[in-house]
Amino acid sequence: MTVRHAVLGLLAQRPRHGYELRAAFEAVAGGSENWELKPAQVYTTLARMEKSGFVTEQAVEQDGGPEKRIYAITPEGEEELQAWFAKGTLPEHHRDEFYLKLMLALISGAANPYRLIHVQRNYLYRELHAITSQRTRADAGHELAKILLLDKAAMHLEADLRWLDMTEARLDEIRRQPLPEPETRPRGRPRKTPEDL
Amino acid sequence: MPLVRTENLTKVYGQGETAVVALDHVNMSVDSGELVAVMGPSGCGKSTLLHLLGGLDRPTEGSVMIDGKSLSSLSDNALSQLRRRKIGFIFQFFNLIPILDAVDNAALPLLLDGANSKQAKEKATEWLERVGLGGRLNNRPDELSAGQQQRVAIARALLTDPMLVLADEPTGNLDSRAADEIAGLLHQVAKEWGHAVLMVTHDPRIAAYADRIIFLKDGTIVNETNLAAGDRPDAAGEVEERLTASGQMQPAAGQMRPASE
Repeated sequence: MTVRHAVLGLLAQRPRHGYELRAAFEAVAGGSENWELKPAQVYTTLARMEKSGFVTEQAVEQDGGPEKRIYAITPEGEEELQAWFAKGTLPEHHRDEFYLKLMLALISGAANPYRLIHVQRNYLYRELHAITSQRTRADAGHELAKILLLDKAAMHLEADLRWLDMTEARLDEIRRQPLPEPETRPRGRPRKTPEDL
Repeated sequence: MPLVRTENLTKVYGQGETAVVALDHVNMSVDSGELVAVMGPSGCGKSTLLHLLGGLDRPTEGSVMIDGKSLSSLSDNALSQLRRRKIGFIFQFFNLIPILDAVDNAALPLLLDGANSKQAKEKATEWLERVGLGGRLNNRPDELSAGQQQRVAIARALLTDPMLVLADEPTGNLDSRAADEIAGLLHQVAKEWGHAVLMVTHDPRIAAYADRIIFLKDGTIVNETNLAAGDRPDAAGEVEERLTASGQMQPAAGQMRPASE
């Protein structure tokens, strides 16, 4: 997953110890409020990658405090990192929790789908407002990297809001159509059709 | 008490069978220092609302109260004076005069009101500087970018120190960067300079600058979101409960906006 490759990328910059990696990851991923990493996650990632031969323990530092293991990237790790860079990245739009809510409301009848859309729209607008204020406060003179991430979030929210409008407009029609169901496959050997004979 | 308030504001165009209800008993308000966005599909009554609030049209029923005064109680003369002095208008296509430079365009409302020309231009210059156009004072509209032209229009709208600023799709003719800047400026007009600002927009990104969004549909308010209520995560639920209670939660098969837009 991504954290693994990000750690490799950070080690490609220079060797670091676990604590340092965690802080560097959070900084580059838009701050700890945006993407928090648990210390344990860093250490298991490092342990796994050491097993795979992507990183190696370079030294142990001990200046008074607890010892710090310094990790470095190996040639295999560099190869793995290059393979990551070479691939395209599909953003996660297909596994959508709101879509799931909407479908389940329609299937079960347990919630009013119009109400779901209403609540979701308010929620997204509030989120967009919060991001817009952060965006306005950010200084384009030296925080362009942060602005880039905020802009991405704002654009996605905008698209989500437009999609909600579209969904609302089509809801009555959707309700008249059959909802997604698993295909029913007949058990046992398929029956022979006259053409097979 | 809010600066602007409507009471059962209703506008019906035409009569009898061909009558169209553009606005149906709308109750809303805007406070000083508040930026409010109005959204909704075309034909939902956004423009009608703006016209009635600006005193450009008279309601069929209900009233508009500005600063405690009902617009319907004013004579035509008093109404036009209120429009000129207390309400600033900003339009999608800027409505600047091509042969005048930025200063003269911005100074226009005061000049038309019979003010001293030198003073009017001084004040216009001051406002142009405030909206970031200090370096473009003597450029004509065709020498300015669309965003800069809208800044001139905003300076012009603020020149008479209006209580209420009404903006009709103020970013509708701008690229997204200029649109963001103009929305930020309108936010400043409300937050820093204390005017009540109401803007009509169809752009979610622009609406997100507002403190509140009012959603209109078929002439009625179907939803109102307080965007700044970040500390009350269930505020959406409350609005929803209220709407459910008032029977507004079951919209017809209509649409907020077609997908093709």
